[in-house]
Amino acid sequence: MHFAIQPHPIDPAPLQRALEDDSCGGFVFFEGKVRNHHEGREVAGLRYEAYQALAEKEGRRLVEEISSKHAVRVAAIHATGDLKPGELAVWVGAAAPHRGQAFDACRELIDAIKARVPIWKRETYTDGHGEWVEGCSCGTSHHNEDRESP
Amino acid sequence: MTPRLHGLLLAGGKSSRMGRDKASLAVGSDDLTQAQRATGLLRKFCASIYLSLRVGQSPPQGAEGENILIDSPLAEGPLSGILAAFEKDAQASWLVLACDLPFLTEEVVSTLIARRDLAGESPFTAFASSVDGLPEPLCAIYGPEAFPVLKRHAALGHFCPRRIMIEESAALFPLPDGATKALTNLNTPEDLEEAVGRRIHLSWFGRLAELRGQREETVFTKEKTSGEFFHALNERHGLEIDLSCIRIAINDEFADRNQTLRTGDKVAFLPPFSGG
Repeated sequence: MHFAIQPHPIDPAPLQRALEDDSCGGFVFFEGKVRNHHEGREVAGLRYEAYQALAEKEGRRLVEEISSKHAVRVAAIHATGDLKPGELAVWVGAAAPHRGQAFDACRELIDAIKARVPIWKRETYTDGHGEWVEGCSCGTSHHNEDRESP
Repeated sequence: MTPRLHGLLLAGGKSSRMGRDKASLAVGSDDLTQAQRATGLLRKFCASIYLSLRVGQSPPQGAEGENILIDSPLAEGPLSGILAAFEKDAQASWLVLACDLPFLTEEVVSTLIARRDLAGESPFTAFASSVDGLPEPLCAIYGPEAFPVLKRHAALGHFCPRRIMIEESAALFPLPDGATKALTNLNTPEDLEEAVGRRIHLSWFGRLAELRGQREETVFTKEKTSGEFFHALNERHGLEIDLSCIRIAINDEFADRNQTLRTGDKVAFLPPFSGG
């Protein structure tokens, strides 16, 4: 069971190695990278901030829940700090005997991380402005994207 | 000539009713411990200050670097600390303060010092309690002539400084106007909470940190639940945030808005998450 929140740049290699298991035939990895645009604005960079103690606790709980529910091995690592477009913000991996379980678990874990782990991002645009992105039901722009069903 | 004035902070009490060392408690919004606050106050008036401790006791938090005087074996309670002070310097006057007077101000201490010249023959300068008119011995000045008097009483087993001051006709003065509660002390967790509210370590994240203009602060609240606390902060700081969008964490765990706050709790209000 592995979940980490670390300052940018993050290295998923140790977590990926920890998922290796000869009983698993399907490995799915998701990499979330910083996009250079958001709602028509050019994004210069992102800053991720976490409530470290609670985010790690909740992240570990998610890994535990999903791995026992699907009988898969999952792991994830999320970056904090200042990132530029193209840089790795989050990595999620799932390993299962068959690909279907691995795809499902990987998808479920990244969705759960976005919804349940106390991490926030602030976008800075190329015009110099910046704002916090709040991805939930209180009317901000990420509503649809974040609630998209698997 | 007026004798030199040393400061003595009595920090040797066992704080048994409070359940933890009163001198190490921070009770104000400035985050200072009571010992730190009181030594700061003494330092404004005295060139030399001393911390009175029991045998084997460590200094309270925030006063680790102070000079230490270990209680005299001639008496018990605060009197043993006061005797130790005179054993250190019998020619001085001692400004004696208890470590649990959170409402004591510089103005009140300076009034006490000014009254010393009006005390006449009495070696004791003290305020009369605003409650019962009796002497307040733990925010008082003990002149050098007090030393033999205190020793005589100690030898007879009279260890109560208030009783000694009454018998020795201490010079008593009223507290300054508007400062009648300056010598109220806090002995129990309930006293503490009633006086200052619950002490909460507050963290702000994301947009809320930006709105609030800081990430961490220590606040005192009399609100009972986390939800009421949030409403009070929202109003006080004009944050205009809808609580329905906010999640609450207490002591690094998600909590609901009806959770009761306790002193020392670490509370965070979390804006909608946007990781990934």
